[in-house]
Amino acid sequence: MAKRSFKVSTFTPVAVADTTAMTGAGYLGLQGGSSTQLINLIEVYMGGQAGASSPSIMIVARDSTVAVTPTALSTGNSDAALNPSTAALAAPPASFVTAGTQPQRSATLGLLNLSFNAFGGIVRWVAAPGEEIGILGNTASLGEVSLSAFTGGTPGLTGAHFIYEPF
Amino acid sequence: MPSKTNKEGYLLIDHRNSPGVSADVIRTSGKDAPVVGEGQMLEAAVLTCSHCTAQIIRNPARTRERAYCRGCDHYICDGCEAKRVASGGQCDVFTRKLDRTVEIQHNWLLTGEHNG
Repeated sequence: MAKRSFKVSTFTPVAVADTTAMTGAGYLGLQGGSSTQLINLIEVYMGGQAGASSPSIMIVARDSTVAVTPTALSTGNSDAALNPSTAALAAPPASFVTAGTQPQRSATLGLLNLSFNAFGGIVRWVAAPGEEIGILGNTASLGEVSLSAFTGGTPGLTGAHFIYEPF
Repeated sequence: MPSKTNKEGYLLIDHRNSPGVSADVIRTSGKDAPVVGEGQMLEAAVLTCSHCTAQIIRNPARTRERAYCRGCDHYICDGCEAKRVASGGQCDVFTRKLDRTVEIQHNWLLTGEHNG
């Protein structure tokens, strides 16, 4: 299909333990648009925007409890196709920062630990072609991936994006 | 030509203009992550575990054998290696897990039965 970018201009990650409900506007979530949709997560980027030292334990993981009724993105946050010729999907993936019922990070299906200091730090992870993180469907635990802060640090203001490809 | 290195991803943690993250913070979190301190930058190749898609940063100081699955001709993480050895060397590649999930969903939709 076509690659897309889910970008969040600025947010303060809210640290939560595994299998604990995340806090709205404190994470990035990406969920399949249908029960059989496959998504490849290709890139994760974070740029620190904090004004003071903010060590942040940022985790990309599958969610053992997926978000229910994800809220549409609002000002500053967006999900757009990279190629201008991209056709609209019948079942667009849900990219969100809050939901009616918040997701919970899996304790066992962590994928990336992108710890960094949000005071001037930059993190970028890119998958090799064919080695992307797969998301399948829209149910736990393969149907949703999130970027969120784990307990232990003092997360600070951050900008982030996911580059992904739905099929 | 196929090689192990053309399956490598890329990781950048840039703290050249940042106080960085100390080993203490990483240790207290209980999570495993590279320590990139003040003024430091890490650029590393990352491997994808073909059994669970977790990302692995190769430790050049590692002396133990790196987990490798002959079934899928791919590096795997230590957790999946333990499962592979316990199952008698069975390759449980991630795409097969996806296939099983889709199959279960289709069966459920068609028959209402969960055979997973």
